[in-house]
Amino acid sequence: MKGQEKVQEKMDIRSSQSRRAFIGRGAGAALGLCAGSVLSRAQSAAPSLVIAHYKSSPQAPDGIAEEARRLTREAVAALGGMGRFVSRGDVVWIKPNIGWNRRPEQAATTNPDVVATLVELCYQAGAKKVIVSDNSCNPAPASFARSGIQQAAAKAGADSFIMDERKFRQVALKGKVLQRWEVYADVLGVNKLINVPIVKHHGLCKATLGMKNLMGAVGGERSRLHQDLGNTVADLAAFFRPALVVLDGIRVLTANGPVGGNLADVARRDTVAAGVDQVAVDAFGATLLGLKPQEIGYIVEAHNRRLGTLDFESLKPRRIEI
Amino acid sequence: MIAAILRWLKAFFRPPRQERLDLSRRALLLAAVSGAGAASVARIGATEGRHNFSPALIRPPGAVAEDEFLARCVRCGECMRVCPTNALQPARGEGGWTALWTPVLNMKTGYCEYECNLCSQVCPTHAIESLTLEQKQKVRIGTAFFDRNRCLPYASARTCIVCEEHCPTPKKAIWFEEVSVLRPDGQRITVKQPRVDLELCTGCGICENKCPIADERGVRVTSVGESRHPKNQILLSLGSDGLMGY
Amino acid sequence: MARPRTPAVVWIRRASQTGFFLLFLYLFLQTVYKPVNQTGKGVKLFFQLDPLTALSSGVSARSLASGLLLGGITLLVTVLMGRWFCGWVCPFGALHNAITAWRSGRVKEKIASGGYSRWQTSKYYLLALMLAGCLFGLNLFGLLDPFSFFYRSLATVVFPAFNDLVTAAFTWVYQADPGVGRLKAAAVTEPVYEVLRRNVLSASQQRFLGTLLIALLFAAVVLLNLYRARFWCRYVCPLGALLGVAGKNPALRLKRNDQACNDCGLCVADCQGGANPAGAGSWKPSECFYCWNCRAACPRQALSFGFGAGREAELVAVQGAKEKAR
Repeated sequence: MKGQEKVQEKMDIRSSQSRRAFIGRGAGAALGLCAGSVLSRAQSAAPSLVIAHYKSSPQAPDGIAEEARRLTREAVAALGGMGRFVSRGDVVWIKPNIGWNRRPEQAATTNPDVVATLVELCYQAGAKKVIVSDNSCNPAPASFARSGIQQAAAKAGADSFIMDERKFRQVALKGKVLQRWEVYADVLGVNKLINVPIVKHHGLCKATLGMKNLMGAVGGERSRLHQDLGNTVADLAAFFRPALVVLDGIRVLTANGPVGGNLADVARRDTVAAGVDQVAVDAFGATLLGLKPQEIGYIVEAHNRRLGTLDFESLKPRRIEI
Repeated sequence: MIAAILRWLKAFFRPPRQERLDLSRRALLLAAVSGAGAASVARIGATEGRHNFSPALIRPPGAVAEDEFLARCVRCGECMRVCPTNALQPARGEGGWTALWTPVLNMKTGYCEYECNLCSQVCPTHAIESLTLEQKQKVRIGTAFFDRNRCLPYASARTCIVCEEHCPTPKKAIWFEEVSVLRPDGQRITVKQPRVDLELCTGCGICENKCPIADERGVRVTSVGESRHPKNQILLSLGSDGLMGY
Repeated sequence: MARPRTPAVVWIRRASQTGFFLLFLYLFLQTVYKPVNQTGKGVKLFFQLDPLTALSSGVSARSLASGLLLGGITLLVTVLMGRWFCGWVCPFGALHNAITAWRSGRVKEKIASGGYSRWQTSKYYLLALMLAGCLFGLNLFGLLDPFSFFYRSLATVVFPAFNDLVTAAFTWVYQADPGVGRLKAAAVTEPVYEVLRRNVLSASQQRFLGTLLIALLFAAVVLLNLYRARFWCRYVCPLGALLGVAGKNPALRLKRNDQACNDCGLCVADCQGGANPAGAGSWKPSECFYCWNCRAACPRQALSFGFGAGREAELVAVQGAKEKAR
């Protein structure tokens, strides 16, 4: 399934379990169908995968922030602009990795400037509301603050809140191994989900990328998911189907992931990839760690289930140098 | 002026009858002796934490040695309140009766967050000494041990290593060996069996806290290896040279 | 006898108690994670003002954290002015005061039970016992120090329960989703809940072990005020005992106009500390909280507080009473 002609829309599950739409929107949330104009825009020669690389590797925080902003903006622009994914009046969930109580330079969490830029682009495309949140593994107030994401997102105008324990709902995922799981209610009620992972080494599955990042949209006893990571991650990917995946490969964690801590384990790749095929994006991300996509269990499983393709080169990705 | 002060002092130490505290000398003596007696009983007890190290007596990072700790801690509860993971609990039996309501870590209710030193910031008597974050990260409060009868890759041929995933030390204190194990259906699979690196483990407990075997965890932290007690150690390399870690 | 108008000083005292009580609660609420890796300012203030914290850890551990020297100021003020701390500052005392004031009872019963009782010496013996223990390394002051007791009870029992109840109430509205047509109750309650979550409630529900005992003790101590006014302060509090010893001979003294007094006993009914304001020269400064209730209650304005001289007059009055008795 290539999906380059269609906008990947976020499936809005209107089952009885998810009647609680996000407060403030009430029943007004659309089912996320793309507008006709968006379709026609997409049918021009816009690629389904963009790999943006920064020619230099600035060390100063300001330099890195500028790099992050430019890479993100150019990558999304090359993909056809945020308007391809976000319609006027949409409620968008930007789901970065805010899992860990770490600083941005430790590369355990998504670059905050990448997140902030995406927030701005969504609002420019006419989004009514942009949410930035994650189900952190370390204490959420600390993780949101130390990663710099809460502040950056709020400054860009997003609603960056810590998840409310009350709002997890049992939802029928109807996956291969996950029949039902607790999903955060507010995620169910949005129009579009934009997945913004960071590339990291992982002891069990070798790399944690976009599809594994979706674990932050669910609750429950997530530790049990590791008993069959190949299938559970693919089940999550099949359920959520983000509209857009923006991969933070500016700093990557090459060892002792996904928590890291040692700056010596952080390597600069100065790359941001954006795409609609979450399997392809993950496959590319694996290469940033020197891995082959075929080495990663959930990428192979997702490919086999036709959620995307791990042969990202076959999508003829647009490569840009900045 | 001096006369007034002297008069005041006289009235302080020899007040008129109705202003006296009405304390009987005998009762005071009895009270004092009881207090001293109670202290003696406490001292000679082989109570955990003082002489026999209790595995459950895991103190917050920065806590001083146990005798000193019990003398300083006023059981105020500030550390328990501020602990962001709800790990600090009021002790009941862990340290003997003299440690009632002092803070101990319970790795099921929480764990010691690596990038946090809030307990040492709020302790009013410095029973938990004030540490910088860098100092705290070098302190060991205990050591994790795998229960191979429960841990999934050992006991039931399943993959897991959530413990290793969460381990916060810059070089992970949990490493694994890839082992080929037999499944009930007769197939062989390769699983990663986790082990603790005793030299790196700080005893933070996130491994125990996140372990999916909810009732009795597959990896559990005990107090041995804690920096504050040179005698409560395992390794020769981290031996009894008073290494407090900071 | 008409009750006289409450003097301003009583209102100021109540304001002071309320203020310190609210400050205690505020600092309690500030003892949480704040970005990045810090807490609110001054969260240790009350423990630093508490001379017992310094004394107990200083004696048993032979060490003193520098912030605890503020307790010396408390002691110094007490030596000069008496147990103002108990009457105007101590938030635990304010709680006991509030419960005491809430109890109903006939004036006669209050007069009978409000006066000085020899049982009030129990706190001094308790203090002596604990100090002796401290000398030999056993510090159990934390069990009975008023701030430790109060904070510990709040932290492990009262606040988590409050957090749980409030969350449960809002959760019920959220899930049951009552409303009329398109007007949903949750549209009002959820924003309120958000405000509470950000400012008062815990980021996640805290749960503690062994809370039943702590809860029962707290409830018992609070309820004992219905039996005797400010029970804890009079009979138990080791800090009160320490301040009582330090404040044995204060500069500010209770004066009684013997001519005006008709021994009605109304001053005793409202006395918080059990200091015996009635009777010639019966006032016990070590038990007086300077609450000014006696002065407020006296219909004949026979009582007042003043500095210095008055001691001689009282002594004369006592001598006179003794001679009369002979």
